[in-house]
Amino acid sequence: MINIPEKAAEKLFLLPTVISIAITIGIFGFMLLLGLPLIIRGGHFLNLLAQSWAPGSGLYGIYPMIVGSLSIASLSLVFAFPLSLGCSVLISVVGHEVFGRFLRGVVQLMTGIPTVIYGFVGVFLLVPRIREIFQRGSGMCILSASLMLAVLISPTMILFFTDSFDHVPKSYGQAAEALGASKGQKFLYVTLPCAWRGVLTGLILAGGRALGDTLIALMLAGNAIQIPGSVLDSARTLTSHIALVFAADYESLEFKSIFACGMSLYLLATLLVLGARGLWHRNEGEK
Amino acid sequence: MSERISKRVSIIKMKKITTVLLIMACLILGSAGEGVQAGALDSFKDEKGVLKIAGGTAHIPVMQEVAKRIMEINPEIQITIAGGGSGVGIKQVGEGLVQIGNSGRKPTDEEIQKYNLKMFQWALDGVGIIVHPDNKVRNLTKAQVIDIFSGKIDNWKLVGGPDKGINVYTRDEASGTREVFWEKALDKGAISPKANFVASNGAMKSAISKDPYGIGYVSVGHIDETVAPVAFDGVLPTLDNVKQGKYTISRGLYSNTKGEPSGLTKKFIDYLFTPEGQKIVESNGFISIK
Amino acid sequence: MNRLGEKLLIAFSWISGITLVSVVFFIVGHLIFKGIRAINLKLIFGETRPLDALLLRKQVFHGLFPAMMGTFLLVVLSVGLAAPVGLASGIYLAEYAQGKVRKIVNFFFDILATIPSIVIGLTGFSVAVFLHQHYSKQIYPCLLISSLSLSFLVLPYIIRSTQVSLESLPLNTRLTALALGGTRVQNILYVLVPQSLSGILSGLILAIGRCAEDTAVIMLTGVVATAGLPRSVLAPYEALPFYIYYISSEYSSPEELLTGYGASIILLIICMTLFLFAFIVKRRIIWQTFYHL
Repeated sequence: MINIPEKAAEKLFLLPTVISIAITIGIFGFMLLLGLPLIIRGGHFLNLLAQSWAPGSGLYGIYPMIVGSLSIASLSLVFAFPLSLGCSVLISVVGHEVFGRFLRGVVQLMTGIPTVIYGFVGVFLLVPRIREIFQRGSGMCILSASLMLAVLISPTMILFFTDSFDHVPKSYGQAAEALGASKGQKFLYVTLPCAWRGVLTGLILAGGRALGDTLIALMLAGNAIQIPGSVLDSARTLTSHIALVFAADYESLEFKSIFACGMSLYLLATLLVLGARGLWHRNEGEK
Repeated sequence: MSERISKRVSIIKMKKITTVLLIMACLILGSAGEGVQAGALDSFKDEKGVLKIAGGTAHIPVMQEVAKRIMEINPEIQITIAGGGSGVGIKQVGEGLVQIGNSGRKPTDEEIQKYNLKMFQWALDGVGIIVHPDNKVRNLTKAQVIDIFSGKIDNWKLVGGPDKGINVYTRDEASGTREVFWEKALDKGAISPKANFVASNGAMKSAISKDPYGIGYVSVGHIDETVAPVAFDGVLPTLDNVKQGKYTISRGLYSNTKGEPSGLTKKFIDYLFTPEGQKIVESNGFISIK
Repeated sequence: MNRLGEKLLIAFSWISGITLVSVVFFIVGHLIFKGIRAINLKLIFGETRPLDALLLRKQVFHGLFPAMMGTFLLVVLSVGLAAPVGLASGIYLAEYAQGKVRKIVNFFFDILATIPSIVIGLTGFSVAVFLHQHYSKQIYPCLLISSLSLSFLVLPYIIRSTQVSLESLPLNTRLTALALGGTRVQNILYVLVPQSLSGILSGLILAIGRCAEDTAVIMLTGVVATAGLPRSVLAPYEALPFYIYYISSEYSSPEELLTGYGASIILLIICMTLFLFAFIVKRRIIWQTFYHL
């Protein structure tokens, strides 16, 4: 048997942990460093977020991309939330023996479907349909991207929802049943009020996935740099902007703008984590 | 230069005889053998290593074909081809990230000086306006084109088409095709912020072929039956019209290196200028510079 | 809530369930319906003889072989790099970290897990360019840079699965070796880790799936459309997901598009198999790996 001294072992396990954390912070530091020229030039970081994009007149604000990201992500939540809630009710509350289990299996498998495949099928299946149905624009628009994103993020929500429904103590439900409540009543008046933090956490995490996804918006949203006026307008997300501009001239301000995008995404991710952790831990604490 | 070419021509002649002999030998043996291609490619046999190419997307089909031939002859060579656009090609070759940076526009004097670029123009090309084949609009004046791309004309019926909105497609700032089109067709006019972005000539072609109401611009070499070319001020973007100088939105296709190329890089560029190389250029829809 | 409301709720849940299942089947069905014709040896090896390609005697053109090999190398390198770091960090979190330290470490790993992959790719790209400009001209976006970036992407998966499987061990398993006079390290290395191997393994499988699937990181860090087989880890390479992305916008003929469908089916099969496998190994851990908070 090898005998590693206790202290050394702890250090050995600590080192990679410290490295991983350093990298996590380093990612932000690196982007700050590289994005600095633009931030200094554009005045304030906040200014940059609010400015519009007009390279011709020296404006490299990422406001259109922020609007693009937020509108695509929130619309996808609008589609995915009721769908996921319905599916979770079917799995946990209605609990149909065959279909419920089947649905759970399908949802679990869905988490393994590569994003690029959603994008690929979207290009050839969804975009032409959207164009034909609405008879406006090219079909590459916010709507197409959010519909596909909704499919992508649904499993995240469903698995989170069902888990928090299942965590509601059984005795609560039994008490309601004893009072003559039906399954629906039990869900609405007992399960949902007890599990709302979990539901909200699932919503936040799914929103994080939608904001952070690159491929679907890149392939389906059309990538125009404008503040979209309708869901049928083409739009560009922060993530797509990075993917489209990263190869540009490294010294150009256009290139530096992608670090502003990177920082915004990083900060959004941090905010979401803070929100989800806050909600979830309070939830655990209550029990 | 001419000396080099004549030398190569004599090599080619010599190799032709060898090829004929080889083919006969193969026929007699009744096997296709390894399919040895003798000729201008021979010089690649004793090379190895990685050759990285990036930049202009109009160039990609030619690059791919040449790379394939070289790698078939010698699997020790790895040639990688990436897109990104002309600006990216020039920048990356200048920074030494790739050995060959392609551009669909002439590098500016500033770029040439800054990076000590050597440019090699191996084909003539144009930038043509394309629409979906079902779209009956086949002719646009310069003024109409400027108005369509700036968003002033936003319905096909205003230019003799169906009563449908126009979906404008454009390329990003790094694109040489965009640069040439913007300068020569749009007179440096604005491009509508509503325009959809695509990342390459290939992507432009397939996007327009899928969108019945789309309009875009693409390297003439990339125009095929899946899209319909539109005459610009009455002149269709065809090889002949570009060659004769009738079609004004024309440009050269360049491969750029940092300083004088050497080794594998030089051989690759030299191959583009051989008759074999120029045949590849022509078969991909570009105009040979010979 | 009246009877009608109850019925509506149940009807709504059925509609949602059926909608989701049909959408998934529609997507997968569309792929299979359109692409099944493309699945053959030619799709993978092009005109080259499979044996020549496998023995690396010949390059493959117009086939998926270089992309599949690229994805394979990417997976091996990234998981190889991430596994030791992830395991050690997971062990530290589960067995050593306490109180405030634990909270802080957990917080940072949650952030690492939530950072969009393209941001990680962007960092990898900038680091490569930075190193190229300041240290070595040999460094540029390549297989190694991609693998390093991807290893950060999957690090949280490995950390979480290790941590969760260790934490879920029953107390008597934890105490036996210690009671017999074993040290804490011996306990971890010879009892706890072997006991949670299946959980750790399923985390690794998930990481493999994520590496095989990711497109955003690699498109910034060295994947290209045409590369053949990479000659070294410092060379650009091809990969399956990028090929699919590339074909979706660049295809020039119906035949080429068909190879895109073929590639999608192959990637889907690879990812589904990995995922199923991970699930069979350890069902519960996967759930907590994804959503550890």
